[in-house]
Amino acid sequence: MAPDSMNSFLDNATRILFFTGKAGAGKTSLACAAAVSVAHKGKKVLLVSTDPASNLDEVLGVRLSGAPAAIPGADGLFALNIDPEAAAKAYRDRVIGPYRGVLPEASLTSMEEQLSGACTVEIAAFDEFTKLLGDAHATAGFDHIIFDTAPTGHTLRLLQLPAAWTGFIAENTTGASCLGPLAGLETQKSLYDSSLQALTDASTTTMVLVSRPERSSLAEANRSRAELAEMGIANQRLFLNGVFVAQDRSDAAARALEIRGREALEGMPAELAKLARIEVPLLPYAPMGVENLRSVFGGISPVRKALHQDPAGGIHSGLALSALIDELEKMEHGLIMTMGKGGVGKTTIAAAIAIELAHRGHPVHLSTTDPAAHVAATVGGSVPNLSVRRIDPATETRHYTEAVLAKAAPQLDAEGIALLEEDLRSPCTGEIAVFSAFARTVAEGEHAFVVLDTAPTGHTILLLDAAEAYHRDVTRTMSDAPDAVRQLLPRLRDAGFTRVLLVTLPEATPVHEAARLQDDLQRAGIKPYAWIVNQSFAGDGFRDPVLAERGWREAPYIAEVRDRLAIRFAVIPWKPEAPVGPGLLRELAGDSLAVAGTSKG
Amino acid sequence: MNKVEVFDPPMCCSTGVCGPSVDPALARFSSDLHWLANQRIAVERYNLAQQPQAFAASDAVKTALTQFGNECLPLILLNGAVVSKGDYPTRKELARLAGVEPDQPVPTEPGAQLPVIRTKCC
Repeated sequence: MAPDSMNSFLDNATRILFFTGKAGAGKTSLACAAAVSVAHKGKKVLLVSTDPASNLDEVLGVRLSGAPAAIPGADGLFALNIDPEAAAKAYRDRVIGPYRGVLPEASLTSMEEQLSGACTVEIAAFDEFTKLLGDAHATAGFDHIIFDTAPTGHTLRLLQLPAAWTGFIAENTTGASCLGPLAGLETQKSLYDSSLQALTDASTTTMVLVSRPERSSLAEANRSRAELAEMGIANQRLFLNGVFVAQDRSDAAARALEIRGREALEGMPAELAKLARIEVPLLPYAPMGVENLRSVFGGISPVRKALHQDPAGGIHSGLALSALIDELEKMEHGLIMTMGKGGVGKTTIAAAIAIELAHRGHPVHLSTTDPAAHVAATVGGSVPNLSVRRIDPATETRHYTEAVLAKAAPQLDAEGIALLEEDLRSPCTGEIAVFSAFARTVAEGEHAFVVLDTAPTGHTILLLDAAEAYHRDVTRTMSDAPDAVRQLLPRLRDAGFTRVLLVTLPEATPVHEAARLQDDLQRAGIKPYAWIVNQSFAGDGFRDPVLAERGWREAPYIAEVRDRLAIRFAVIPWKPEAPVGPGLLRELAGDSLAVAGTSKG
Repeated sequence: MNKVEVFDPPMCCSTGVCGPSVDPALARFSSDLHWLANQRIAVERYNLAQQPQAFAASDAVKTALTQFGNECLPLILLNGAVVSKGDYPTRKELARLAGVEPDQPVPTEPGAQLPVIRTKCC
């Protein structure tokens, strides 16, 4: 369909808007821009992030909490973050509070420990989410509720929960099933019903699929489109973010970028192309702050701030990726993990490192904890010494269920097996299954290189929290947990075994998200090994004004990584061609752009 | 009608499937409790992480917790009196505690509902 006008979309917007899409597609920027613009039209708007690693605070320039906060400079706009850890803590306090002074202190402590697992966290956050969606009381007074949702896999899981649970409650007959820490879940059923109704009512909810004009981003949008439609959420829009037309026709890289975008759009999946569409041009800056955000849809030219010059030479002050790989190779075996915000290139860099190490003759396992990652497609073929896998939640859950039944069956009668099977249908089973697979994958680093691409930050934080919670659990109960689970946290903390690479783009939000992740990791006793600044436009040679401006706006962020965040760091320049397949990935790994390494490690 | 109450340590669910490891004894015990509920015994089951109110409401449980700490869990009460501490008894032992024959089969008419045990897992 032909592009729509943003203005008419905002004028006719439904009460609830979701922004979803591949990590890095620009969900937060566009959700914030839409919220600011709708509020500017005189509406009262609540902007919500469900991402455990929310960037709303930074983009809006306001410190947010779990309660709606007014955004200065944007009358009528309020925002909040659903923080799973905070929601879980509130839940714990609610459950345990009444028994302080009634039950012994040791008993309260053990309750608290039990209610600190991944399952409680997940369900407490979900509880907050459904309140905003299904409880009219909680959001009375707001004309619009705009969700800046977490990256795709997680979003869909969150959205599927009302459907899955509504069925689960209805089918659960014995009352003995494991329903996660929501005691008395039945009483919540009407809330889940109204949440589901709100989601599937086209006059209430619009699902905005955000995509870059890139093949993988469009494919992801199309996957979401189909999955959401299958769940009955058919009111969808496509926002194409970052549409680029080279202004300087003599700039070969700019023309290559334009052609790459055009070809991707020409090859857009047919069903996706049928959706009403809005195009947002590639901006020379990442929109931050109310004024800049208003300009995204408002047609006002952005505020240009004077930027400081980086005397240390920006892009040339980092290591080349090949030099970093030389260092990693000396480990001979162990775990290499890429972490960071969604869309910064974690999968690509993990694949490049894995292929290069395999090429140098080392046995390498490449895997991912990200349900939305396409590791095999990135590698694009078979490579000697390299095995490519992924931790798929559905597969892992099935294997885990089978293993548990096989282990327990000899001691149970038919009725006992039926009970166990019912408990295994719990939403918690998937969490523990994925976690066990993660622990097993890490354990393989004892004999080979394991290069592990992780899901976007929020998901990874929850996985680490789970690792810590289970570690406490295992230590406390002396249970017969598998060795891989027992050893997981000690392995992750062993700097000789585990090397964490924080991947970022040279922009504010991915750098600061990675910085917060680094703090989280260090609190957990894990010290990141290096930072990788990916897709830099700061190299010489961009004449196109948009790309050149992006380049010189990188300087303070590269300087921040170098001077304040990283022990050692590498810079990878932006490539006109998407690095897919062994050839291009090895080229990426062997890049010798920035030879003058100034490693401080 | 005799009443058996089970006070579990804090856990996620009655079979333990969502912990770091599965304890087959827990699954076996859940199954045995259902068997017991079929023998005309009123069975109630509480988990410290989910139903602390049941713990707080029982003086026998509070006394045991204060005296022995969390190690006394699981506690099993028969008609309000503690009959077992810190262990999941076998079906035979459970039958002896509740005063029923251990070898009674479970009625298995097709479509029969499992007996309701007042418990909320997780």
